[in-house]
Amino acid sequence: MIVGERKPMEELLGMIEDFERILVLGCKGCVTVCCAGGPKEVKTLSTLIRMDRKQKGRKVITIEASTELQCEPESIRPILEKMANQYDVVLSMACGAGVQTVAKLFPDKLVLPALNTNFTGIAEEHGVWTEACLACGDCVLGRTAGICPVTLCAKGLLNGPCGGASEGKCEVSKDQPCAWQEIYHALKRLNRLHYLKQKPQVKDWPVHPGRVVREDLREVETT
Amino acid sequence: MNTELRIGVFICHCGINIAGVLDIKGLCEYAKALPNVVTAQANLFTCAETGTSAIKKAVKDNNLNRVVVAACTPRTHEPLFRASCKEAGINPFLFEMVNIREHCSWVHRHNKDAAQAKAGDLIRMAVAKAAFLEPIETFKSKVEPLTLVIGSGIAGMTSALALADQGFEVILIEKEENMGGLLRHLHKIAPANVAASELIEEKIAAIKKNKRIKYFTSAILEEVTGYVGNFSVRFSCGNDSYTCKVGVIIVATGGIPLRPEGLFNYDGKNVITQSELEIKLKKRDIEAKSIVMIQCAGARIPERNYCSRICCMVAIKNCLYLKDIIKDAKIFVLFRDIQAYGVENEALLLKAREAGVRFIRYRPDTPPVVENGKVKIYHPAMGKEIFLPADLVVLSTPIVAHDDAESISRILKVPINGNKFFLEAHAKLSPLDFAFNGIYLCGNARYPATVREATCQALGAASRACITLSHDTIERVGTVASVQEELCSTCFTCIKVCPYNVPYINERGRAEIEPMQCQGCGICVAECPAEAIEFKYISDKQIMAACEALLAS
Amino acid sequence: MDNFEPLIAVFSCHYCSYAAADLAGSSRIQYPPNIRIIKVPCTGRVSVNHILMALEDGSDGVYVAGCLKGTCHFIRGNYKAEKRVQYVKDLLSEINIEPERVQMYFMSAAEGTKFANVALEMTEAIKKIGHSPLNKSRS
Repeated sequence: MIVGERKPMEELLGMIEDFERILVLGCKGCVTVCCAGGPKEVKTLSTLIRMDRKQKGRKVITIEASTELQCEPESIRPILEKMANQYDVVLSMACGAGVQTVAKLFPDKLVLPALNTNFTGIAEEHGVWTEACLACGDCVLGRTAGICPVTLCAKGLLNGPCGGASEGKCEVSKDQPCAWQEIYHALKRLNRLHYLKQKPQVKDWPVHPGRVVREDLREVETT
Repeated sequence: MNTELRIGVFICHCGINIAGVLDIKGLCEYAKALPNVVTAQANLFTCAETGTSAIKKAVKDNNLNRVVVAACTPRTHEPLFRASCKEAGINPFLFEMVNIREHCSWVHRHNKDAAQAKAGDLIRMAVAKAAFLEPIETFKSKVEPLTLVIGSGIAGMTSALALADQGFEVILIEKEENMGGLLRHLHKIAPANVAASELIEEKIAAIKKNKRIKYFTSAILEEVTGYVGNFSVRFSCGNDSYTCKVGVIIVATGGIPLRPEGLFNYDGKNVITQSELEIKLKKRDIEAKSIVMIQCAGARIPERNYCSRICCMVAIKNCLYLKDIIKDAKIFVLFRDIQAYGVENEALLLKAREAGVRFIRYRPDTPPVVENGKVKIYHPAMGKEIFLPADLVVLSTPIVAHDDAESISRILKVPINGNKFFLEAHAKLSPLDFAFNGIYLCGNARYPATVREATCQALGAASRACITLSHDTIERVGTVASVQEELCSTCFTCIKVCPYNVPYINERGRAEIEPMQCQGCGICVAECPAEAIEFKYISDKQIMAACEALLAS
Repeated sequence: MDNFEPLIAVFSCHYCSYAAADLAGSSRIQYPPNIRIIKVPCTGRVSVNHILMALEDGSDGVYVAGCLKGTCHFIRGNYKAEKRVQYVKDLLSEINIEPERVQMYFMSAAEGTKFANVALEMTEAIKKIGHSPLNKSRS
């Protein structure tokens, strides 16, 4: 899932400084799952905004809503169209993709991000998420026992550990295991150590921005 | 629920308990002016027949659909007023109670104005909340009049027999080849001075004879699903697999004395455990003249930080039996603290001292050292190390949890503590229950216990079980959490935060909470990031309304 | 400021602190009349938003009163509540509201005196901090 966290209130309050009618727009997808931008967080943020304005003696109207998936235009359109003249600005609690979908769909409204989108990650335990995938576009996990060197190796090395690893830890931080050491042990456990002898393939790094097209799924002109 | 709100407020004088401080007439006038309030009246005692009749009459006369009583504490009187509502024909949960006695008149006696204002505020908050009350239904589920008892030690057998004697059928499963548990290996039981074998043979015979008890030995519990009244159980017995439906489960899986490998030169010959000593005592196979017992062997240390409670009494008992067999035996007991609670055990301790058993205290930082037929110990009174001759060293090791405690806890979804003993719902309020309804515990599975204690607990657990078994159906008030599936994001939060492991992902891929299992704490409701969990009993809307009414508008 | 009588919302759990409040009552222990109890089955029921709501709606302080640690009727509701209260404190700091306006307390059903003492302590503390900045209209 995409993992994000709310921006500091000072930054958020600065962004909305000029506005009185604010649509706080959550998303019921990834950011609900990572407890950053679902309906509950929408309520918390809206309350904080109202409290801030109240103590400053300034007016504000917050509208609370959440889309099913903010990266899906059809999920946003009905909600935003219905309320178009009730708000001046959208404060989106979705990931960066969600924010941009709103911006694209409603070019006349300013949309502001309430979250910092951190990474694609794993829910380790309730309240802890860790990065797992950099979306590199050319997955190597099949050769690395399901441990991603692109993400988990600080240098993103594809052909084994660097000289900085010591006692299984990465030189970047003592808390961070060396991804390649983990890959080695995992392959050994799976009796697949010979994978390491294979020549690393040249990696097809993607050109940004990426675009995936499935012609078979696209709408056809029937006339 | 679009009908017009019609709230009736009933304010109790409670004799002078409330009216002596608060102006009830004034509160009535105040309440009448609150939104949706149709009638507000004072009662001398709302809880008296006149009061409850007044509520019922007012409901009929004014067509009320919400009742608010401002009186004493809902902890004692809510059930009464809910019943009045029910009798008056409205759902008992369309009732709200506000405490203006314990929380107001009694505690602000010298500040009448402030007390009056506070009472008004509390009534306003209750009326605001009442607007969002929702009817809550009770639901029923069938009870299978059958019990599964896991473990056939003294606790398990006692429970099984007690239940059978009350007319309930029992399935007793034992993982060992023979029934009897720890007692099979013991010599005699103190303070009753009964042979363990006698006690156990009698019980085993009674179980084998009892038509209501089906027992299975070499049986391993494999799966348990369901909830109180309706558990499905699967266990295997050799190559056979059995499934059955039971209403309640009693966990009597017992414990086992620690094998003190590596402690005090334990070798099973010259350095043995108390349970090994008991086997020798049974066979009268002891020649030692000088015997040293070491208490707390492997107990009350960082990795096993509890007192096993029974080992001191076991040591005292065995000292006395040793003295009986070997008149001139020299016995030393090296202890940290003596745990011999109760009059009879205290008397046995005295008797042992009188018989010449010497007790020497040691401190954990200067533990005894066992070497070549001697025990070295620092004698605190003499202020120096002394050597005690020892033909036989007996280690009093603690009862520890069985290796399979963890897997049984997982199968039953009930908790174990850090030492792998099963954890009761509440040490004082429900010591024989698990937090999970319909599962009970007794004996060493819970904590080291004497035979008497295990027996008492077993009878207690059986009696707890009988409460459920004696009903054809059990009724549960729906004061529980429920997932509104269309709002659920399947984030697993409720699954992770529920203290009872109740929520699960259903076949539609959404979280679901089985109402018979939900305990109604509301933790998941407050944590759900999608606000998808409904809790009608105390809903977000009700809390919001009460907050909004904190200040008079 | 001398006459400031703060309004304090209390989220009180059915099994412990509400019972402690009852005991304070039946023991006739006198405490300041500034608190308003909102009863919940367990303090684990109290969400971050509930506490914020109570503040937004005009209370000068809010505290959550649960069972003693290790004795929660629902095993760990009070621990959850404690963490949420801490989170609310952090949120308040972010918008420059005194985090001390929100507190967590633990007490047993037998601690009527503690309930009264906490009510007094909190009232005194909020008096020192002053009016809620969200409630300037009230005096």
